[in-house]
Amino acid sequence: MLSQGHTHPPPPPGSSISGDDIHKSESDSGGPALNIGVFKEIAKRALVDALNSVNGAKTLVLERSLAGPLGLLTEVSLLKHHGVDKMFWLESGPLNASTTNVVYLCRPQVKYMMIISEQIKRLTAEHATHTYNLFLVPRRTTLCERILKEEGVFGEVNIASYKLEFIPVEDDLLSLEWEDTFREIFLDGDETAIYYAAQALITFQQAYGLFPRIIGKGDAAKKLANLIIHLRPPRLATVSVALDSLIIIDRSTDMITPLLTQLTYQGLIDEFIGIRNSHIEVDPSYLSNAPPAPPTGTPTPSTSTSAPVITPANPKKKKHLLTASGDTLFNALRDLNFAVVGNRLNREAKRLDAEYKGRHQAQTVAQLREFVGKLGGLQNEHQALRLHTSLSEQIHPLTRTEQFNKSLEIQQNLLASYEPAAQLNAIEDLIAQQAPVQLVLRLMCVASLTSGGIKVKVLENLKREILQTYGYSHLPTLLNLTSLSLITALPLPKIPLYPPPPPFAAIRKHLRLLSDTPENAPTDVSFVYSGYAPISSRLIQCVTQKGAVLASVGPADDAAAAGGAGRAERTVAHPISGWKGFEDALKLIPGETVDVIQKGDEGESPLVAPPPPRDRATTTMVFFLGGCTYTEIATIRWMAKQTKGRRYLIATTGIINGSTLIESLAPKGAKFEPVA
Amino acid sequence: MAMTSHPTASWDAMQDGSVFYRKVEIYSMQWQLSDLSNFIIAGARYGGPFALIRNTSKIVALDRMAFTKPQIQLFSSSGDLIQIIPWDQGKIIRMGWTFDEELVVLNEEGSYRIYDLQGDHRQYSLGSEAQEVGVIDARIHESGLVAMTGNLGLLEIKGWEGGKPLTLANSTLNAPPHCWSIIPPDQTISRHVEVLLAHESTILSVDNLECIDQRLSRGPFAKLAVSPNGKSLALLTKAGLLWVVSSDFQRSYSEYDTTREGANSELPSQLVWCGNDALLLTWNSVALLVGPYGDTLRYPYSSPSFAVSEIDGVRIVSSERCDFLQKVPDSSESVFRPGSASPAAILFDARDHFDRKSAKADESIREIRPELAAAVDACIDAAGQEIEPYWQRRLLNAAAFGRAFLDLYNPTDFVNMGQTLKVLNATRYYEVGIPITYAQYTHTSPRHLINRLTARNRHHLALRISAFLRLKPDPVLKHWACAKIVRARAEGEGAAGDVDDDALCQLIVSKFEAVDGKEKGGVEGVSYAEIAKKAWDIGRTNLATKLLDHEPRAADQVPLLLNMQQDRVALTKAIDSGDTDLVYHVLLHLKRRLNLGDFFRLVSEPSLVTASNLLKVYARETEREMLKDYYYMEDKRVDSAVLSLEDSEDKEVTERISAIKTAAKFFSEDADHSFEAKAMDEALRLLVFQQQLEKDSDGQKKYVGLSVNETMAACFVNGLAKKADRIKADWRVPDKRYWYTKLYALTSIRDFDGLDAFARSKRSPIGYEPFVNHLASKGFNKQAAAYVSRCDPAKRADMFVACGEWRSAALECKERGDRDKLEELRAICPNSLIGRELDQILSTMN
Repeated sequence: MLSQGHTHPPPPPGSSISGDDIHKSESDSGGPALNIGVFKEIAKRALVDALNSVNGAKTLVLERSLAGPLGLLTEVSLLKHHGVDKMFWLESGPLNASTTNVVYLCRPQVKYMMIISEQIKRLTAEHATHTYNLFLVPRRTTLCERILKEEGVFGEVNIASYKLEFIPVEDDLLSLEWEDTFREIFLDGDETAIYYAAQALITFQQAYGLFPRIIGKGDAAKKLANLIIHLRPPRLATVSVALDSLIIIDRSTDMITPLLTQLTYQGLIDEFIGIRNSHIEVDPSYLSNAPPAPPTGTPTPSTSTSAPVITPANPKKKKHLLTASGDTLFNALRDLNFAVVGNRLNREAKRLDAEYKGRHQAQTVAQLREFVGKLGGLQNEHQALRLHTSLSEQIHPLTRTEQFNKSLEIQQNLLASYEPAAQLNAIEDLIAQQAPVQLVLRLMCVASLTSGGIKVKVLENLKREILQTYGYSHLPTLLNLTSLSLITALPLPKIPLYPPPPPFAAIRKHLRLLSDTPENAPTDVSFVYSGYAPISSRLIQCVTQKGAVLASVGPADDAAAAGGAGRAERTVAHPISGWKGFEDALKLIPGETVDVIQKGDEGESPLVAPPPPRDRATTTMVFFLGGCTYTEIATIRWMAKQTKGRRYLIATTGIINGSTLIESLAPKGAKFEPVA
Repeated sequence: MAMTSHPTASWDAMQDGSVFYRKVEIYSMQWQLSDLSNFIIAGARYGGPFALIRNTSKIVALDRMAFTKPQIQLFSSSGDLIQIIPWDQGKIIRMGWTFDEELVVLNEEGSYRIYDLQGDHRQYSLGSEAQEVGVIDARIHESGLVAMTGNLGLLEIKGWEGGKPLTLANSTLNAPPHCWSIIPPDQTISRHVEVLLAHESTILSVDNLECIDQRLSRGPFAKLAVSPNGKSLALLTKAGLLWVVSSDFQRSYSEYDTTREGANSELPSQLVWCGNDALLLTWNSVALLVGPYGDTLRYPYSSPSFAVSEIDGVRIVSSERCDFLQKVPDSSESVFRPGSASPAAILFDARDHFDRKSAKADESIREIRPELAAAVDACIDAAGQEIEPYWQRRLLNAAAFGRAFLDLYNPTDFVNMGQTLKVLNATRYYEVGIPITYAQYTHTSPRHLINRLTARNRHHLALRISAFLRLKPDPVLKHWACAKIVRARAEGEGAAGDVDDDALCQLIVSKFEAVDGKEKGGVEGVSYAEIAKKAWDIGRTNLATKLLDHEPRAADQVPLLLNMQQDRVALTKAIDSGDTDLVYHVLLHLKRRLNLGDFFRLVSEPSLVTASNLLKVYARETEREMLKDYYYMEDKRVDSAVLSLEDSEDKEVTERISAIKTAAKFFSEDADHSFEAKAMDEALRLLVFQQQLEKDSDGQKKYVGLSVNETMAACFVNGLAKKADRIKADWRVPDKRYWYTKLYALTSIRDFDGLDAFARSKRSPIGYEPFVNHLASKGFNKQAAAYVSRCDPAKRADMFVACGEWRSAALECKERGDRDKLEELRAICPNSLIGRELDQILSTMN
């Protein structure tokens, strides 16, 4: 949703993209690697250019799922400023445009072309004279043109592209904000997303130079790597000095992790409240001290069939951009295991209280002035404290329910291969209690993946229970999960229809997936699942932090846990040497292995040519093809704090969790109750 | 013209000697045209060519050069005939040149052709409306045109790719304007084209939104001209008054009465800008330059002339010669102006002394020491402004001399200028005939110049310049190869046959590799596909195939492969490219061309699985019937079943029943899916059962669409416990699930008595904790507490707490003698009232 103004600091002016802008001066902290704010500016300017190319007032008809990503770039006022008079959702039904210019903004998908054709035909029949402009994101396609031609409206529409690619979501996180990418690539076999991801990464390379090395795992990762190399424009020929490599994690190489319940603060917010395009919907009292919303409010785009204002589904809830920029408390909390969040909040409350009391110590006018100067900051912190206290109060009881604890117990037992049969019974009990179907399916997939499959009799009983409890409309979902090998029936037939699940026990052993770590001072990435290290994170460590795969880092002292800074001894990151040392583990995981070195030649320099920083840290970019979870992001941020000399930039096709993943694999008609 | 005549020989002073204009003869024309006024002429900017057609409205005597059929002749600036284009279309309304030096010819039927210098063309139309009412006039700019239709509407074309015409705002004209012009989109504030129409005594400005009357009263205007930068506008009234205003009509710059000089009683034939600050008016035997302050310079011509406005001057051709007229650039003026004491002039002089071994050289340098760097820069720039190599060299020599006295001087400008002048002198050579100036060259870019040379088939020169400037030679090579193929055919027709395919292919490939190898660029950037297309277009299929094999980019091979009906290869290449849109392109093309059976067979080949996946995604959205056929033909029973289920979503019950039957049948045909077949049978039974329930309730209650569980629950809620039990039996619902369902259902209708009876009916298979938990979670604490006593004693205290029954919890502790637990409760109890109560119980424990 296009939101009210949020608290991002103004990004650097895009026109003066220089080395200085891109590289922050801080050289060796765990802080952000490259200034990725430029991507926001680029995307914003492209949008403005697109709007300005249509002269005069215009009616904007917007694809619903684009509103979220666009909301991360711009505010409604910007659109108004560039002539947008009214906004509608792109949905079937007649369009009620009051301006001559109609601007459609959507992805190049067949269904949208059908809606647009239908609306134009209807308006033409009504003798309405409009100029139709269609901006396709990220590019115009012959497919769309063909459909508009077949529908007989091609001549009526001016078609252009709006190249929207990576959106900076946090200062170390780029997202393409695509939904359902996993389904498209791995279930439908529609690899459009891989092609667009390659384009986006090439655009990225145009700003920062070629990735010196591309490392990856999985068949789709291989395809992506090949495209990045083959589609490279000849002008792009300088190897980046700021980046040392790109690691592509193909979602299909680790299906277990997203299915598990995330146990970090941000992960749980996503599980229970739901984070969409970095926004959460919360009770207004959480934000009550927030500055009043802009008086204009948010003119919500409306369904084209109805009047131009619709009320949100839950009028009481308010949208809030959940970001660490400008919210230092969230920055400290987001990646902690939820078990220690309460403590941290307490400490913060006490500190704030003490700071407020500081005013009593103010003796002189100068001291008083100093206090008043701090006041604004304190109020912001107070607000942040209120929000996060409220959120954790909302989440806390949900983590105490029997269902939640039962499902965690099932997950932990399955990961340890402890009495798998009993866990299947426990899942059946959860079905009897009518636990959310997403949760049940997640657990069932985890059971199948960790045990190499489920005995056909037990499996059919479970499936029957699911169909009877939640409806027969879930049958296609079950078939889809089967075809993805997320559910496998045992014994395997002689010629299996689908590949068997990867050998979990062996992977667990090779990659040391089970690893106990104190939650308040983690010594291993396993803190995000209270003792289980995600395969995806381990794969990254196999490249960037080889030692950590073999053994946890030494016990962290309290200072490190408190601030992440001030740790005296951090090991120096080792240079990138591909998968070396973990070839055996990689063989266990299905899919191709990628390790390519990109060489440049003396061509033109890239757009941003930074001076070679000898003493500076290099940056490793991790790209998740098919989406990643907040816990996976948390593990990478943790890795960044462990070693010096290497920083991480995380990029993903989108952010997922187990429930959104399962929902994306269901047919369109399937019913899902909200999880919480 | 003598090679060494001093530059100032061509200068003329204006404004009392404060400003100079120079008119240089660049070429004496090679053409044999006696009178340019017999032709309609369109001249391209940047020293580009001229297109001429005979002005049919003028009666001329047919001489030897005359032609009976209409034709367009293209001449270079030096009068060299480049091409003759025969014209057999409707009457030509307007000709003009694009930025890429292609000729646009628009006819009265509203279609326009774009010709390259080889005479090849592509044709587009302004649409059916323009065709009906006809086109009466047009203005063509570098990247588009505006046409005026017979009913005085204005149509805009953006770009030269055959874009859709846009209708501009209604001008409200009732008669054709006296004259009109346009400001190109890249020169307006709005970035959209602006049309200026002289109407009655005023000017109307029209864009795509509105028509604004500028409310002038000095008209009617006979001519108007927009300056090259779009900022100023020259208006000539029918009375002969020349008036210059800003193009937004906010400021008036100058006026000049053209009738002042008696000879010019009639209106000039042309009004064009000379750069951005002076205007040239031409009559048959004279050209008059009007400066910004109304000063004039007269240039007599012995025959009618034609002038082309340039960004830095004006080019004038007549039957004899081609002149370039411009304001003398500042740097030239500072060096050569008589009596100039500028550092640049002194430096130039010093070099002269140096060459004559005069000591004055050193003295002069000393004198200008502080400004020496600027003087060097000025000499370099002045070199760029001279056309004669002699003076270029002398100026550069002066700069080199000055440079020697500077400790730190970046030689880049000097070196670049030397290089540039070499390029410019080569292109200005009369056989090439592009009299481009330094300013025009920097404005249009070296690449642009190379493209222009290429378009003239000057491949050798273009390649040499590419190499000299270190630019990629690929576009030149490509053009060369295409030309080579076409020419090989032309030659072949005369001789025994086509030049051997293999030899030609080999020749082209080796040339590419040779040049590319030299440039270290590798094979990247070479597009064999486009060359292959050319070969295919002229009917050399074999050669096309051979060339296509050399194309490294799969994506570029596809369109041609499709044309050549190499379907399978095209599809494979498209898949290899990774670009799904390209795969769609091929798929949709093939679907149209092949019959469905062949199409399916091709797509379902295992190696083309990406194609079949994409086809499915596409068909799911638009062509479900085709998808059904596809699944059927491919024996995809599971997919057929699921498709059938999806199609019945949100449909009437009867339709859903038949869809489920279909699905069940598909599943049952597949041995691996007996479970699904059974599930479909169950689903079918459920629907029938639900239908009956709805019928029994006289349509008052809704059941269809609910799951088995939900149906059971609904039965409990609606007091049909027997029916619910029947479901339990018929669908073999396990006890546990049955108990939870009934617990939830009875709680939802607050049937606590029923619940109690149910709880007592037999020993609960789920225990009684769920009773407590569920009731408590719904806020029925009292009812929940009643079940605590039936639960595990160890958990009872906590369960009482969950029901808010603190006292009972405490008593439970006491009964079990669990003092620790009681103290724990005391510590977490919510208020002092309860606290006191707990303390009291605590005190009774020993």
